[in-house]
Amino acid sequence: MLVKLKVNGELRQADVPPETTLLKMLREDLGLTGAKLGCDVGDCGTCTVIVDGDSLNSCLMLAAKANGREITTIEGLATSADLHPLQKSFEELGALQCGFCGPGMLMSAKNLLDKNPEPSVHEIKDALSGNLCRCTGYTKIIEAIQDAGRELSGAAAGN
Amino acid sequence: MKRRGKGIGCMWYPIGFTVMANPSAATVKVNTDGTATLLTGTVETGQGALTVLGQIAAEALGISTDDVHVVSGDTDTTPMDTGAIASRTTYVTGNAIVRAAEAARELLFEAAAPLLGVKADQLEARDKRIQVLGFPSKSLPISEVALHAETNVGRPAIGSASYNPPTVPMDPETGQGKPFNTYVYATQIAEVEVDDETGEVEILRIVAVHDCGTPINPMLVEGQIQGGISMGVGFALQEEILFKDGVQVNPNLTNYIMPTSLDMPELEVELVDNYDPTGPFGAKGAGEPTAVPTAAAIMNAIYDAVGVRITSLPATAEKVMMAILEKREQEAKSA
Ligand code: FES
Ligand code: FES
Repeated sequence: MLVKLKVNGELRQADVPPETTLLKMLREDLGLTGAKLGCDVGDCGTCTVIVDGDSLNSCLMLAAKANGREITTIEGLATSADLHPLQKSFEELGALQCGFCGPGMLMSAKNLLDKNPEPSVHEIKDALSGNLCRCTGYTKIIEAIQDAGRELSGAAAGN
Repeated sequence: MKRRGKGIGCMWYPIGFTVMANPSAATVKVNTDGTATLLTGTVETGQGALTVLGQIAAEALGISTDDVHVVSGDTDTTPMDTGAIASRTTYVTGNAIVRAAEAARELLFEAAAPLLGVKADQLEARDKRIQVLGFPSKSLPISEVALHAETNVGRPAIGSASYNPPTVPMDPETGQGKPFNTYVYATQIAEVEVDDETGEVEILRIVAVHDCGTPINPMLVEGQIQGGISMGVGFALQEEILFKDGVQVNPNLTNYIMPTSLDMPELEVELVDNYDPTGPFGAKGAGEPTAVPTAAAIMNAIYDAVGVRITSLPATAEKVMMAILEKREQEAKSA
């Protein structure tokens, strides 16, 4: 079946079997391998993308269901000129180790900051509770999200 | 009722085994643009090794880490390394890199000495220059010296070296020897809250103090320790591979439960200021030891909170509750 989506601002389409997940379509048909396949059953969060302003596990959504919707993946976070403030903070504070959870963490974090620019530690932990990380203990990830939140709301306030 | 308790776990951990050969080799090549290329057989698995190894080469050559291009983990092209195992990379591979970089640096010194009118042993590599010890104004850029070494002297600045923590055979009579070249130490303290009606344990805070020698990259060490603690937390309270008839019954993340962001307590990490003369720039290592004392500290904290010793992990709510009930029963009997 033909699925048409807007991915990172661009109209994309692919002819996929009906059982194809959004994750599989992104990775295999659209060549966007940033979202990772960790478990394929909704347990780990490495496949997190943003669909119409909400972060979700793309391994749990059928591509057909995403038809006509707007998707943001990790590839859409940076511009060609600059990294997203979240990516900068992750890099500067050493928030990732092996990095496998990274794309999912960053998309969950972006979704949180889009809705709540200055979240508390507890709100951040809550927002990341579906994103497993084996390496970092989450501490530096939480610090980086707070840091990016401050940067983004500072920029929004014009300073 | 929720009861609070604190517990301490201490550990030492060996770095650089010596019971058999444990070598790492490295090649450092100084380029004519003043950068360097480091070849190492070890691999990056997220621990930050390539950053730290690049820093070690940069420090030895007096250039910046950004100017070190690290080529790693390719058995076709890189020198042999025993592996990214046993918390040995910073120590063993790092020592090989220091030696390789020093060999390359020596060739730079020998090339620069006549140009600067001093002996090679009166030179140092600093701020991307080869300079006369204590006289920064008498100096040449490393790029120029590297080019001179190649095109005029005919001895390009390339150093190769290996490091093998001296193998010490075990005494077959006594079974004694010196199994490792150095040791790291740590103490972690856990504060927990135990619900004595459900047996549920919540970890409120963990403070970790580690001696890893001189940390080459404190931020990465801190990250490793935080990650190690999360593994220790899982080991203490959640993670367990369950078998039935030899087959794992919980082979996926739905039923093999590991800590999420919500399970992690507040962490405080401190590094002990130390220097190990046998390590690269005083460093020993982090890695595995970061996860060692955590579960012990948590079990001691549970004991402090509710007076029961949990001796099989993970300390699930059921296990803790059963132990509390048993203790109450015994107390009732003896009363
Ligand atoms: S791959 Fe989608 S949640 Fe694990
Ligand atoms: S950095 Fe390795 S899983 Fe998160």
